[in-house]
This record gives sequence, C-alpha cells and structure tokens, in this order.
Amino acid sequence: MSESRDQSDRQSSDREVVLHGSDLHKAYDSLLPFSRSVSVLNGADIEIQAGEILGIVGANGSGKSTLMKLLVGAIEPDEGAVSKAGRVGWCPQEDLLYDRLTVRETFRLFGAGYGMDQDAIAAACDRLASRLDFEEFLDYRVDQLSGGNRQKVNLSIALMHEPDVLFLDEPYTGFDWETYLAFWDLTEDLKARGTAVMIISHLINERERFDRILEIADGTLTDVTDTGSTQAGGAGIR
Amino acid sequence: MNGSGELSDQLSIGLSATIREFLRQPINLAFLFILPPVVITSYGSILSTLPETSMATSPGAMGATAGTLFVAAFLPAVIGLFQVISARRADDRLSLAGFPRNVLFVTRLLAVFVSSLLTATISIVVLTTRTDVHAVLTGGCILVFVGVLYGLIGMLIGAVLPRELEGSLVLIFLVDMDEALASGIMETDSSLTKLFPLHYPHNLFQAAVEGNALATGDLIAAVLYGVLLLTSVLIVYTQLTERGGVLA
Repeated sequence: MSESRDQSDRQSSDREVVLHGSDLHKAYDSLLPFSRSVSVLNGADIEIQAGEILGIVGANGSGKSTLMKLLVGAIEPDEGAVSKAGRVGWCPQEDLLYDRLTVRETFRLFGAGYGMDQDAIAAACDRLASRLDFEEFLDYRVDQLSGGNRQKVNLSIALMHEPDVLFLDEPYTGFDWETYLAFWDLTEDLKARGTAVMIISHLINERERFDRILEIADGTLTDVTDTGSTQAGGAGIR
Repeated sequence: MNGSGELSDQLSIGLSATIREFLRQPINLAFLFILPPVVITSYGSILSTLPETSMATSPGAMGATAGTLFVAAFLPAVIGLFQVISARRADDRLSLAGFPRNVLFVTRLLAVFVSSLLTATISIVVLTTRTDVHAVLTGGCILVFVGVLYGLIGMLIGAVLPRELEGSLVLIFLVDMDEALASGIMETDSSLTKLFPLHYPHNLFQAAVEGNALATGDLIAAVLYGVLLLTSVLIVYTQLTERGGVLA
C-alpha cells in the first residue's frame, strides 16, 4: 500500500495542475435583523491535478458544498482566487434540472449551453444513457423519474461535454449497488483519460479509490490521505 | 460551432424548451382560459349595480373594461414571476454551463409574450360580449402590450424577491391599485399616478373601446415606459442571476 502510494506520489508530482484555489475566504451575511453572519471558509488552499481522484470529506455544515460552488464559479469568494485550465463539469448535490423537460430535451438544452452541436449532443446522450442504464427513460419528463434516475441524469449532464475537471457533490445519493459500481467504472475511465475528479461527501467509503483525501474543518483543508480523518472523528472516511 | 451559429442554436433550443415547459404546466393553460371570463364578468357585474352617471360609459362597461385590463396585466405578471422563480436554480446551472444569461432572458420573455397574446385575445373577445368595442384589433394590441409590461414586472419581482407567495401578493395589490388609479375609480390629485404602468395604456385602451383616436402623447409615453422597463429588467435580471440572486 505504502509502495503504491509512493508511486502515486511520484506520478502526481508530474501531473498538470488543472485547478488552483488559493486563500479562499467565504462568509454568508444576512441583511435580516437578528441573524448571524457565518464564516465558512477561512483561507482554504486547494490544487487539483489532471487524472487524479480527489476526495473532500467533512462534517455536516463544514463548508464542503460552498467550497465546490466557489471552485465551479457558482459563487464568488470574499477573498482569494480560483484559476482553472480546461472545461469544468459540475454535478450538484440537488439535481438542478428542468422538471417539465424530457431527459433528451435536457441534454439538448445543456448541450447548447456547452456549445456542442446536435450530433455531439445526441452521441453524448446515447453514450451516457447506455453507460448508466437509463436509455428507456430518455423520453420521460424529469419530474416523472425516480430519485436514482434523476441523479443519473444530473451526473450525465455534468459529464456530457467531457470536462477536464469534474466536480461531484454527494454523487451517489439514490444510486443502487449496480449504479454505484457503474459510477466507479466511469470515474476510473475518466481518470485514465486525464480528467481530474473531485468528489465531495460527508462519508467516503473505499478510500483506496481516491488518490488524495482532504478534510475540511474550521474553514481550511488538511490532507488526511494517510492519517485518516481528524476532526470528523474518523467517521467520515472508511 | 461558430459564434453566431452557436448563439442561434442556443436561442432556438432555449425558446423551444421554454415553450414546452410552459405548455406542459396545465395550471397555466387553465388560468389563461378560465380567469379572463370570470374576472371581466365579475368586474362588469359588480359595477353595473352602481347608479348610472352622466358619463358616456355605463358603470357596467367601465367595470368590464377595468376587469379586462386587470386580467390582461395580472396573468402574464404571475406567469413571468413563476417562470423566473421555479427555474431559478436550474437557470443558474445552465448559465454556468455556458448558456448566456441574455439569451435565457429572451426565452423567458417570449413565454411572457405568448401568455400575453393568449390572455389579450381571450379578454378582448369576452369584453365584446359585455360592451361595444369599436377598435377590437387596436384594443387587443394594447392588451398584449399591457401583458408584456406586467410580465416584465413579474420577472423583475421574481428576480428580486424569489418567493412565490410574497411575489404573487405584491403583484395582485400592485395591479389592482394601478388599475383603480388609472381608471379613476380611486380618485387622487397626485401626479405620481403617471408613474404607474397602466396609466397611459389605460387611456389608450379606453380610447380604443370607445372608438376615439389614440392620443399621441399617451402612445409615446407608453412606448417609452415599455422600453425603459425592458432595459431595467434586463439589467437587473442578468446582474442578479449572475450573482446567484444576491444584490451586490
């Protein structure tokens, strides 16, 4: 294990950095009286390399989703900066989709956003539907899908343009065992192609699947790849 | 794909998605077909119980006209509001994927226009059954304009106050008060009433119903009001939604 980790470390030092976030600060203020200002990130630093699978673990409310939104560009940091090289894919924790569109129409709409042409959109739709096993639901409206199938579509939308960095926030919520395994097969393929994958979860199972694991606590990130979780009481990583 | 080809693709796919979403919500269609006759008939009936005055228009006809303007403004306003609120978070994700905010705005505006067109058509037809409308086409066009005007206000409120109940309440009071002021039912000397959206369109619509010539001043003021509102809503919508709904 230690030998393979050393080998992984050597490979890691040669990899291209695809995302860098430095000294990230974020607090949530409220204009309403009697409400608190909550400081979520206090100088977090993060670097993601091509072809690595990075896990972010932390207790509930520790700022995992805020960190991801900052890295994706959904919100701006109060201080610090994020630099990205290449295309970004984001699979949010909640499936942010249009309920009354069909799955195929959803692909078409987001594909247009990514700047893909019709053939590339159709190919991505077929490829991902086959891989994650939701082909029979392509003409169903999103609001008629089960929670697991919605999550598959949610993930596929993040993947359809073949991003260089993929951010996944609690991606396996609602997946059955088969889909969970298919998800990891897909993630390994992405890694082999050089895609950086960052997975956020309050609970990281099978730590050997990750190249690095960072723990978020008190607004900063600590590498706990070898040491295990410190402040989450060890409950976050198995 | 080149820039203009990509933009036209985004526009056509966005428009098609917005229209599909709109038509697949049965409550939208139910409101569009049921509310206009109910509101116009109710307003007409309520005011027809008032005694006749020396004015050329009977109270019943005045009520029906006021009801027509109310419903032509209120329905597109609520549709504009709900469109912005219900799709807000998915719109954020779509925008992060690279879909331009201004194209998204245009697609939302189109749905408002379609709902305004439908409401105006149904409303003017219902009004003709209650009173004589001398210039039906002109009246219908003014109602479409009123719908777009208030649809924009609905979108604005949806962007600034993204809550369905509160937003709907603001709209219902605003439209009601606006129409009451514009029609003269609620009398006031304040020139501030000219700043309300229905002030000029009401005069134009009244003239169309009675067969009088449209006053050029009212027409220019109404168009200017529309252009200003469109520009303001576009700026606020794109700025606010870019910041995840937070005014900076």
